[in-house]
Amino acid sequence: MESPTSAASRPDFYDFLDRMRRPAAADLFRSIKSFLVSFSFHEPSAEEDGRKVQAFLAEMEGAIRDHPLWANATNQEIDHALEGLEKYVMTKLFDRTFGTSAEDASTDAEISEKIGLLQQFVKPQHLDIPKVLHSEASWLLAVKELQKINSFKAPSEKLLCIMSCCQVINNLLLNISMSNDRTLSGADEFLPILIYITIKANPPRLHSNLKFVQLFRRESKLISEVEYYLTNLISAKMFIIDANARSLSMEENEFQKHMESARLATQTSVDRPSSSHGPPTSSARANQAETDIAGSKFPFMDSKTESLTPGELKQLHDLYRQVVNRYTLLSKALRKLSIDEDHLLDSVHDS
Amino acid sequence: MGCSSSVPARSTGGLNTINSDASSATDSKELRAKLVLLGDSGVGKSCIVLRFVRGQFDPTSKVTVGASFLSQTLALEDSTIVKFEIWDTAGQERYAALAPLYYRGAAAAIVVYDITSPESFSKAQYWVKELQKHGSPGIVMVLVGNKADLHENRSVSLQDAKEYAEKNNMFFIETSAKTADNINQLFEEIAKRLPRPTES
Repeated sequence: MESPTSAASRPDFYDFLDRMRRPAAADLFRSIKSFLVSFSFHEPSAEEDGRKVQAFLAEMEGAIRDHPLWANATNQEIDHALEGLEKYVMTKLFDRTFGTSAEDASTDAEISEKIGLLQQFVKPQHLDIPKVLHSEASWLLAVKELQKINSFKAPSEKLLCIMSCCQVINNLLLNISMSNDRTLSGADEFLPILIYITIKANPPRLHSNLKFVQLFRRESKLISEVEYYLTNLISAKMFIIDANARSLSMEENEFQKHMESARLATQTSVDRPSSSHGPPTSSARANQAETDIAGSKFPFMDSKTESLTPGELKQLHDLYRQVVNRYTLLSKALRKLSIDEDHLLDSVHDS
Repeated sequence: MGCSSSVPARSTGGLNTINSDASSATDSKELRAKLVLLGDSGVGKSCIVLRFVRGQFDPTSKVTVGASFLSQTLALEDSTIVKFEIWDTAGQERYAALAPLYYRGAAAAIVVYDITSPESFSKAQYWVKELQKHGSPGIVMVLVGNKADLHENRSVSLQDAKEYAEKNNMFFIETSAKTADNINQLFEEIAKRLPRPTES
């Protein structure tokens, strides 16, 4: 068997697809198909769709338990089948159920924009993160785990990204408490770090991802520890939406000043590429340099190579690194999305 | 996710703590109870729970649990088994507005203050009012004065706290996470007060 590289739930999923291809599973597969088709008769509504999916998964749990293909199966095997089913159904319904309302889209954009601003000036001390817990390496790892949330379609896989991120933070807290003989402070330290990580990560479509997991992850799996960590990320989101001078322990005018300059920096970088000021003449160079420093994303496009100063070259090199990093991430994500899952899903659906 | 208790607490008095997966005896009643911790930062909320979950303090024991979510199972004398799922909250003022997300649906709440800090006692009273207004109906509320070992620096009198708890119909106890004083009693008392599922 191929060794799957990313999500831990892959083997279940292959097994589920494999069983669904067998003639004995025809009745189950028919129920799944007709369930999926039933959605085309209704307008998308996240809450309503969530209720339907939850009811269907609960109903199928019984059907799978009673099914000859799963005769004598252990609870764990049944659970694997249900994980596979949830992933299959939600991947099929993804485009309809994930952040489709205009409201979701605008909340996502609002949060992402707010984080984009906060990112530029919020420091660990604004959130009560003690110095001893500063660990760039762990934080970066947690950021990366959280950013993966949007690269998966199944609710369980999205949830796994949240859990991995929280696990990294917990490990950091435990390691530091052990090596420094320091008492663990629980949520007093965990939540601030999670908020800081969320700000650093600016995970794409944060609101829609959280809502999707809440509505479509099997209810019986959204309990206990998993529910606790999901609640923490939801509260991180709320903190960020409401973040103001008071919640960051700043003077009102200091906060406003930070927000204003962050906004300016963001605006110039957004406006610049699309603005049609015409090609800058050499006399306009000083002017252009000013905009570049202000944070433009695509500076030097019209500059002559030989006229660049060493300082500008360094700036250019930094930008080049950014571009390469982003490109690598983007193509990785694209590769992951396009090959395995969709391909597999279609092969089953056509059979 | 490697965050459940791996070290069973030692049994104390008439109360046995058991590993969560060890047995699900068919003749005993099992109860899953969400318990939320509220209180100012620094009052020792998580120490109380760590002490409860790890049992008698063993400085060499390596914790393999998350520090903000912990679960521990208690077997009571009436053969009820209570699985506590303990949700810690961040106590700093800036995070106070987020607390309702955590105490929603909680069966019990422990409101902790530090007996050497009057500010933490007023903060505790704030949480009690919050819970009375927005907590689940029937939530079991407990007031805990922690750091009882520091009695020479006491600035919240036992009498004041007792009276306040009585007025608000709460169980009250002073604990020391440091010496483990009253820690198991605290959780045993909560377990006893939880509403039992109705027999069917």
